[in-house]
Amino acid sequence: MKRFLKHIPVKLWAILCIAVLFTFFSNDFGLVDIQKTALVLAAGIDRTEDEFALTAQIAVPKGSDRTTGGTSSVEIEGRGATVSDCLADLYAKTGWVPKLVFCDLLVLGETAVQRDVFDCLDYFLRNEYIPDSCLLATCEGSAGELLSSASAIDDTSALALEKLFSDAAQKSGWVMTTTLREFAIGYFGESRSGYMPYVRAQAQEGSQEQGGQSGGQGDAQPSQQEQKIYSAQETAVFSGGRQVALLTPEETFAFSLLEGNIYAGTFTAAGKTYVVLRDSGSVDVSTADAPAISLGVTCKVQLYGESETVPPEELAKGALSPEEERFLSDLLASHVRSLWDTCAGAECDLLFFRRSLWRASPAAYGKWKDLPLASVTVRISARAEGLK
Amino acid sequence: MEKQEISGNAARDAAALKALLPAQDILTFSFEDAVKRQYVCIFADALTDKELLAEQALRPLRAYAGDARAKAVREHVLSPEVRTERGLDKLAEEVLAGNPVLVWEGADEGLVVGTKKVNVRAVTEPPTDVAIKGPREGFIEDVKTNTSLVRRRFRTGELMIEMLTVGRRSATSVALCWLEGTCRRDIVEEVRRKLGAIDIDAVPDSSYLTRFLSDRPYSLVKQVGTTEKPDIFCAKLAEGRAGLLVDGSPIALTVPYLLVEDFQSSEDYFVPAYRATFTRLLRLFALLVAIYLPAFYVAAQLFKLQLLPVKLLLTIAGSIRDIPLSPSLEMLLVLLVLEVLNEASIRMPKYVGMALSVVGALVLGETAVSAGFVSTPAIIIVAFSGIGLYAVPNLIEETSVVRLAMLLAAGSVGTYGIVLVSALCLVYLVTTENFGVPLGAPFAPFVRRDLRDTFVKYNLLSLKQRPAALASPNKRRMK
Amino acid sequence: MKLSSRQILFFLAAAAPIGKIVLMPARLARACANDLLFPVLAQLLVQAAIIFCVLLLARREQTLYALIRDAAGGVAAKIAAILFSAFLLFAAFLPVVEQKLLVRSIFYDTIPVYLVFTPFFIFSAYLCARPLCTVGRMWDILTPLAAVALAGIALLSVGSADYGALAPAGAAGWEGFASGTQAACSWFFDAVLLLALIGRFPYTKGLAWKGAVCYLAGGAVLLFLLATFYGVFSEIAVAQTHAFARMSGFFSGMTVLGRIDYLFIFAAAFVMTFYVILPMQAAVGTLSEAFGKSRALPALLSAGINLAMLAAVYLTNFHTSQIIEMLTGTLFWLYPVFAAGVPLLLTLIFGRRTHETVS
Repeated sequence: MKRFLKHIPVKLWAILCIAVLFTFFSNDFGLVDIQKTALVLAAGIDRTEDEFALTAQIAVPKGSDRTTGGTSSVEIEGRGATVSDCLADLYAKTGWVPKLVFCDLLVLGETAVQRDVFDCLDYFLRNEYIPDSCLLATCEGSAGELLSSASAIDDTSALALEKLFSDAAQKSGWVMTTTLREFAIGYFGESRSGYMPYVRAQAQEGSQEQGGQSGGQGDAQPSQQEQKIYSAQETAVFSGGRQVALLTPEETFAFSLLEGNIYAGTFTAAGKTYVVLRDSGSVDVSTADAPAISLGVTCKVQLYGESETVPPEELAKGALSPEEERFLSDLLASHVRSLWDTCAGAECDLLFFRRSLWRASPAAYGKWKDLPLASVTVRISARAEGLK
Repeated sequence: MEKQEISGNAARDAAALKALLPAQDILTFSFEDAVKRQYVCIFADALTDKELLAEQALRPLRAYAGDARAKAVREHVLSPEVRTERGLDKLAEEVLAGNPVLVWEGADEGLVVGTKKVNVRAVTEPPTDVAIKGPREGFIEDVKTNTSLVRRRFRTGELMIEMLTVGRRSATSVALCWLEGTCRRDIVEEVRRKLGAIDIDAVPDSSYLTRFLSDRPYSLVKQVGTTEKPDIFCAKLAEGRAGLLVDGSPIALTVPYLLVEDFQSSEDYFVPAYRATFTRLLRLFALLVAIYLPAFYVAAQLFKLQLLPVKLLLTIAGSIRDIPLSPSLEMLLVLLVLEVLNEASIRMPKYVGMALSVVGALVLGETAVSAGFVSTPAIIIVAFSGIGLYAVPNLIEETSVVRLAMLLAAGSVGTYGIVLVSALCLVYLVTTENFGVPLGAPFAPFVRRDLRDTFVKYNLLSLKQRPAALASPNKRRMK
Repeated sequence: MKLSSRQILFFLAAAAPIGKIVLMPARLARACANDLLFPVLAQLLVQAAIIFCVLLLARREQTLYALIRDAAGGVAAKIAAILFSAFLLFAAFLPVVEQKLLVRSIFYDTIPVYLVFTPFFIFSAYLCARPLCTVGRMWDILTPLAAVALAGIALLSVGSADYGALAPAGAAGWEGFASGTQAACSWFFDAVLLLALIGRFPYTKGLAWKGAVCYLAGGAVLLFLLATFYGVFSEIAVAQTHAFARMSGFFSGMTVLGRIDYLFIFAAAFVMTFYVILPMQAAVGTLSEAFGKSRALPALLSAGINLAMLAAVYLTNFHTSQIIEMLTGTLFWLYPVFAAGVPLLLTLIFGRRTHETVS
C-alpha cells in the first residue's frame, strides 16, 4: 500500500502529461483557429422593414507571395432578424466563423439610423468579444454599398474610412469621430443623445477599377467599378437612438471647437484661410433661476493663406488686426449658434446639457429635465485671437 | 574478511598486493640494498613517474644499509611526499592512485612514494564561458591544478581545502573549498554529510555529485551552481559559498545556488554598472522570449488573435494559408527539428558540424518553407527562441523543457495554459531550497539589499555586503 | 519555512485591489451607480480595522487552531476548524466563478468549451497541497507584479476616463449605499484569510497598524481603479462584467502596437489566480493542522476540495448569474458574520489574554 501511495504523484504526473498531449495533438477544444476564421475589419448595417442586412468586410490574407502592398478584402452580406442572425447567415454562406475582435468600424446605413440604432448596436455592446472601441459612422445610402465600393486611396474601403477618422483628421476639426462606448454612454445617459460622422462617397472622376469583390450576392465576375473618395465633414446627430439632424461642415467645426479637439485645423473666411493653433472650448450649465447653458470658444489663430497675392512684407505678419479678430470671433460664434439651434431644434442634447444639469444638481435636473432645449437660455462667447 | 597487513616478508607482501591488483598494468620491480635486503616496488605503469621514482627512492635505497623499520627507511627516501601504511588495501589504493609502494624484508609498514605522474592539459579558456574582458583561465581535469588556481587567488589561511574521496571503485578525489569565517559552518558540514553518504561505484564527472547535493534530486531545476572559471569560483567562495572541485572534471560546483547566479557573468564586473545592468536585463528578456515566444505565437493563432496587431496577423495568416499542419503541430515540429540539429551539431566533428548547419539552415529551412511544410513566421519564431535560449547558457536544459511545456499548454488550452504553467513554475521555484537557501532569493523571499547584484547591477562600491540570502557569518566584504 | 511580517504586509497591500476588480465594479455600478466608491470605502475601513485586530491576535504567535485548542480543547478546536474551513470554501466559490468567467472572456476570442477551466483546478490542487507558508514567498513576487499590472491598466485607462461621471456624489442615497455595501460584502473577507495565516509569522513591532495601513494603501488603489472604471464606462458600467480587462482597451496607441494592455491584464490575471486559490489553500492548511500530521493528508484534502469545487463550478455552469445573485444577495450576511464577527469575537476572547501573557 505504502509503495502504491509513494508512486501516486508519478502516476498523476504521467496521467496529466498524457491528457495534455492528447489535447495538444487532437487539437480540437472547440477552438476556432486562424484558418477557420473570417477576420471582419468593418461591418455595415442596413435595415429593411423586418430584417437587418449586415455586410462584413473580411480581410483576405495575400499568401506568402506578397508582391503587392495593402490589404485585400471581400465583402459578404448576411441577413436576418437580428445582427446575430446576420452573422449566423454569414457563417452558413462561407463556412468561416466571423470574428469581430478586429472590427474597428461600424457603418450604419440610412435605413438603420431612421429607427433606434441600438436595435442593432445592442449586439455589439453585449458581445464581450467585440471591442467597444470600434468607431461608428453613418452614411449616405446603403452601408453595405459603401463598404463594397472601391476606394481610391486603399484596397480596402474600411481602411480608407479609418484614415478619415484618424486622430490627425479629428484635429483638423472637420470630422467628429465617436466610438461605440462613447455613443452608448450618451445614449444611455441623461441626455440620450449622440453623434456619428456622416460619410458621403463621391466618385473620382475618370477612375474605374477592374475587379473588386461583389457585395455578397455571389457574383464573382470582375466588374468595372468606379473608384470612390470619402468625406465625413458632416455629422449626424442622434436623439433617443434615431438620427434627428445633420450638422453642416461649419457646425461640425464649431462642435470640434467646443470639444477642444482642434490643433492646426484650418478654416476659411472672407477669402482667407486661418489656422487654429490652440483651441479651448467650454460648455457650462447654470441653474440659478432658470437653466442656462454657456458655450465658450477661445482660440489662437493665425492667417494661413489668402486668395489674393500679397507683398512679401505682408507674408511675415502673423498678428491679426482687431477688426479681423472681431470678425473671426463673430463668425465662430455664429457657427456655434447655428450648431445649438440645429440641435435644439431637433431636441438633440448633443452638448450634454441635461447630463451637466444632473451632475451639477440632481434636484435641478429633476425640475428641468423635460424642458425643451429650445427654451434653454444660451450664452455664446467666442474669441479668436491672433498671435501677439 | 580479515584485514591484511604487512608481514615483513617482501615476496609474500608483494604477492598479496599483486593478488589485490591483478591487472597487467600493475608492475613489480625487485632490488636489493647495500646489505642485500630485498625490496619490491609495486606501481601502476602509466600513472607513475618512473624516472622520479628511481631518482628519489630507488637510488638512495640501493645504498642504504640501516635499520629495516619503515621509519628509518623513510628517512632515506628523497621524495617530499612519502608516507607509511600498514594495511595492504590502503597500499593497493595508493598504487591505483599512481603512487608506487615499496615493501621489503623485515618491514613493519609499507612505504608510499608520491611520484605520481600527472598528465594534464594546459590551463585554457573554457569554451562554455568565453569572456571578452576578464580572466581567461579555466579549470582543467586535474584537481591539484584546479586547487592551485584557487589558492593563487586567495593568499590567506582562511581558504580551506579539504580533500575527500567519493566513489567505491573510482575513489575520485574531491576538493571541498570554503573560506573559513565567511562560509557558514553548517553548509560545509552538510556538504561533508551529503558527500559521505554517497555510495556509488564511480564518479566520472562532477555532474554526478549535483544530484546527491540537491535536496530535491528529481527536480527539473538545478540546485547546484556550476562554473568552469576559477575567477567566478573564487568570487562565489568570497560571497560565502562552499565549492567542490572534482578530479577528472573541469566543472566546479558551488553551493548554495541562487537562480539569479546564472544571469551573472564574470564580464559584468569588468564593465560599467549600467552596461552590466543592460546586458543582464537583455539576458532576462532573451530567456523570456525563448520560453514564451513560440507558445504565445501558437496561442495567438489558435485561441486569441487579438494578441497580434491586425496587420501582422494578416501577414501570418497569408503565410500559413497553405500549411497542412495546425499551428501548434507546426511549431512543435520546427522546435523538434531545431533540437535535433542542435544536438547533432554539438556532437558532430567540427567540420561535419558546419556542413550540418548549412543543411539545417538552407535545406531544411528554406526548402521546407518553399515546399509548404512549414511557414516562414514559424521558422523565424523558433530561430529567435533558439538564440534567446543561449543568452543564458547555464539554464539551457531547464529552459528548453519549460519552453516545450509552455508550447504544449498553449496548444492545448491557449494563453490560459501559459499562465497556469507559469504559475506552476513560480510555485515550484519559490518553494525549492537547497542548503536552507531558497533558490528564488533575493526575489522570493524578497531581500532588498541583495537586489543590487541581480538584474540591476549596482556599482561595485555599493556592494559592500555579502548576499544576505547566504547568511554568511561575515556580512561585510568591503569597508 | 515560515512567513515573514513583510510578506504579510505585501499580501495585504495586494489583496485589497487584486481580487475585487472583475465582477464587483459592475455589480456595484448596478447597485449604486456613480456612488460606487462609498460602499467600497466603508468596506475597506471595516476590513482594515478587523485586520488590525487579527494582527493583534497574531502577537500570541499561535495558529487559530492552536489558540482555540488551548482555550477550549481539541474537540472544540476541530469543530471550529471545520466551520472556519467551510466558510473559506464558501467564500472561495465566488472568486472561482469570477475566474472562470474572466478566463472565458479574456483568454479566448470565441466562447470556449467549459472544460478549458479544468487545468485551473489541477494547478489549484498542486498549490493547495503545498504548505500554507509558501504563500509568503509567492506574494513576494506577486505583489510587485500586481503593482505593475494595475499601474499599467490604470495608466492606459486614465486618458479615456471622465471622472466627472462620478458626480453628483450621494445621488444614489442611503438606499444605494446600503445596497452597494451589501453587494460588496461578498468580496471583502481578507481578514479571514489573514486569520488562517496567524501563528505562521512572527509578530514584529507595529505590525498591526502597518498591516491596516498597507491594506488601506491597496484600498486606495482599488478606489482609484473603480473611479477610473466608472469614468470610462459611466452609464454602461453595469454591463462591463470584466471591468479591469475592458477599461484599458481604449488607449490610442493600440492601433499601432496591438493590444499591449493584454500584457498587464494577463499579469493581473496571473496574480489573481493565486488570490482565488488562497481561501482553498487556507482551508486545506487549517484542516491539515486540525486532523493529524500525515504527509498525505494535505494532498488528499487538496484533491478532495478541488474536485468538489470543480464539480460545483461545472454543475452551476449555466446558472452563474443566479449563483452570483445568491451570493451577493440572499447569502451576503454570511460574509460579515465570518469576515468581521468571527475575528472580532476572537480578538475579544484572546486579545485580553494576549495582553496578560505577552508583555
